Amino acid sequence: MEGKSSHAEQFYYDNKIVRAFAYASLIWGIVGMLVGVIIALQLVFPALNFSTSWLTFGRLRPLHTNAVIFAFVGNGIFMGVYYSLQRTVKARMASQFLSWFNFWGWQSIIVLAAVTLPLGLTSSSEYAELQWPIDILIALVWVAFGINMFATIFKRREQHLYVAIWFYIATWITVTVLHVVKNLEIPYSLTMSYPVWAGVQDALVQWWYGHNAVAFFLTTPYLGLMYYFLPKAANRPVYSYRLSIIHFWALIFIYIWAGPHHLLYTSLPDWAQSLGTVFSVMLIAPSWGGMINGLLTLRGAWDRVRQDPILKFMVVAVTAYGMSTFEGPMLSIKSINAISHYTDWTIAHVHVGALGWNGFLTFGVLYWLIPKLYNTKIYSLKLANIHFWIGTLGIVFYAVPMYWSGFAQSLMWETVYT
Amino acid sequence: MKRYVAITTLMLTTGFLMAQDATPAPASTDFFSDLFVKMIVISAGVVMLVAIFVLYRLLMTVIQVEQIKIYKEQGLEAFLEATKKPRQSWITRLYKSWTAAVPVEQEADVLLLHEYDGIHELDNKLPPWWVAMFYLTILFAGVYLYYYHVSDMGMSQLEEYEAEVASGEEQVAEYLAKQANLIDESNVELLTDDASLAAGKTIFLANCAACHGQLGEGTVGPNMTDNYWIHGGTIKEVFKTIKYGVPEKGMISWQSQLRPADMHQVASYLLTLQGTNPPNPKAPEGELVEPGGNPGAEQTVPPTDSVTNSL
Repeated sequence: MEGKSSHAEQFYYDNKIVRAFAYASLIWGIVGMLVGVIIALQLVFPALNFSTSWLTFGRLRPLHTNAVIFAFVGNGIFMGVYYSLQRTVKARMASQFLSWFNFWGWQSIIVLAAVTLPLGLTSSSEYAELQWPIDILIALVWVAFGINMFATIFKRREQHLYVAIWFYIATWITVTVLHVVKNLEIPYSLTMSYPVWAGVQDALVQWWYGHNAVAFFLTTPYLGLMYYFLPKAANRPVYSYRLSIIHFWALIFIYIWAGPHHLLYTSLPDWAQSLGTVFSVMLIAPSWGGMINGLLTLRGAWDRVRQDPILKFMVVAVTAYGMSTFEGPMLSIKSINAISHYTDWTIAHVHVGALGWNGFLTFGVLYWLIPKLYNTKIYSLKLANIHFWIGTLGIVFYAVPMYWSGFAQSLMWETVYT
Repeated sequence: MKRYVAITTLMLTTGFLMAQDATPAPASTDFFSDLFVKMIVISAGVVMLVAIFVLYRLLMTVIQVEQIKIYKEQGLEAFLEATKKPRQSWITRLYKSWTAAVPVEQEADVLLLHEYDGIHELDNKLPPWWVAMFYLTILFAGVYLYYYHVSDMGMSQLEEYEAEVASGEEQVAEYLAKQANLIDESNVELLTDDASLAAGKTIFLANCAACHGQLGEGTVGPNMTDNYWIHGGTIKEVFKTIKYGVPEKGMISWQSQLRPADMHQVASYLLTLQGTNPPNPKAPEGELVEPGGNPGAEQTVPPTDSVTNSL
């Protein structure tokens, strides 16, 4: 009796896997953004493809998007989930094997993508370019991650599930469905397949997938990260539990319908287009629910925001999230979409989300996490501040001229030439 | 009062959003398809709401005055004092009522008992402005779907496309008409670009070759390749001859069949035939115009046609 009560249960969180994903996110982030810079330069100096097929814009562009979304942000998601999930359920990851299978599986997928995309081996679907053998590998790794996550949740020592975990679960379930349905294809050879979808159905599945890749790969997991790392970094209580419930359910219910807004003025029936428009507009409040719950969590900590680069990164991230989730619904309205669609405006919009929301939240989390994982301090706060300002100004200098050129393109198209 | 402000804002915003989606509707007798009428209806609605609001405030003030009177009669001075306590500015009250946030100093009142790895949660109310925005977007969704798919007020994309094409064609026609009127015999200048001359050749072969020969050597009509002209050989004179014709000699007026731009092109092409010496030329007619004296003749070195013509 004495022996039982005096020995507290002991367990350790797995921090190694978190470190591995943090490094992967950093390295792939550099690669992905570098490829972005190269293709941006190719637009100005086409000679920079050196007349080499695998260096052309058409092949490097999907490499850029895949690297940034699935490698930089993807590893960022795993980093954040593996760190915060263990702590919010008070349990070590259920299976070390699955954790490392997830890590090495994901990295090999990225390497395969980095090889096949420049070779031009692609299924030609935006954000789902990878060929069927890699699709299967993605499914395997994703399911391994899911099993590991649910098993950890199952053996938790905390009765209630924190809001961040709801977002992780929503992410896992929806990405599974999206990935499988989008990539239903009939293999022809090892490097070639035909989708089961065709025509307008293919277009609808494509943008149901594409839009919800943004929703459930770039948004919901990062909202989960925000709900863990922002209150941690600010050392403040989350503003409203009620708001987190309402905006979570509203967000995941409404997001999944909004895809057709990518297909305005196409052969998609009018009613389906309108459905995409109205669900996009109804998304403003659920999206902003996340933003205001994050920003209001900082009540009473704003004096520290001015000093602390971590909080600064997070504030800009959450604000960029709010801006792009307001802009998105606006771009879904037909009269505005008629101006913006097929112009640089879309690219500007995407980058406010990707650089601002995903990029800056990743940086904020990394600056908070790395000193924790290594029990050390940020090497130079000054450098972190410089990083912050270069990044913030960079996003502004990136987006504003692109909005401008988008408008110019649209106006030129609308002019009648004779 | 809160509620009235909310409703007014709601109506105004809805009106704005509806107006934003209104596209220039095709002529129709439908009462609501007229944007102007819609604006009037919306404005009238707003005026009515404002009127209702003012009346409501008036009623409230009257009631208050009456209340105070009753309190005074009953000698409840203390209550009167209480009602006079300094009130916060309307902007502060508005801010508080629209955010419904528990102040940071009192947040312990709404602190939930759970804790996750040191993270606590407050249970603040949903911010009313956020709730209002959510309802507004849901209302927008209803109005939007009704507008485009139930009421028939909004155009389908096919109708929109047809309207755009029609207006585009109108603009093109307008432009062409304007262009055409710009060219006449008083200001026409020789064209030398290949595209215009090629177009001119096509027009020549289709309309002129029957009488003037495939190579301009002349059959029924006079020879176009020599230096002799009956009605003048400058670009302006040739244009004029084509435009008005010489009906008494069998040259018809082309202005009802060819656009000024076409006549411009064919006249320019015609002058490139100078000096090409085709086989079977018709004998010269009219007056000799020395190449030097002819403003058109200086540039009559034919660029592309010379090869085919000399064959």
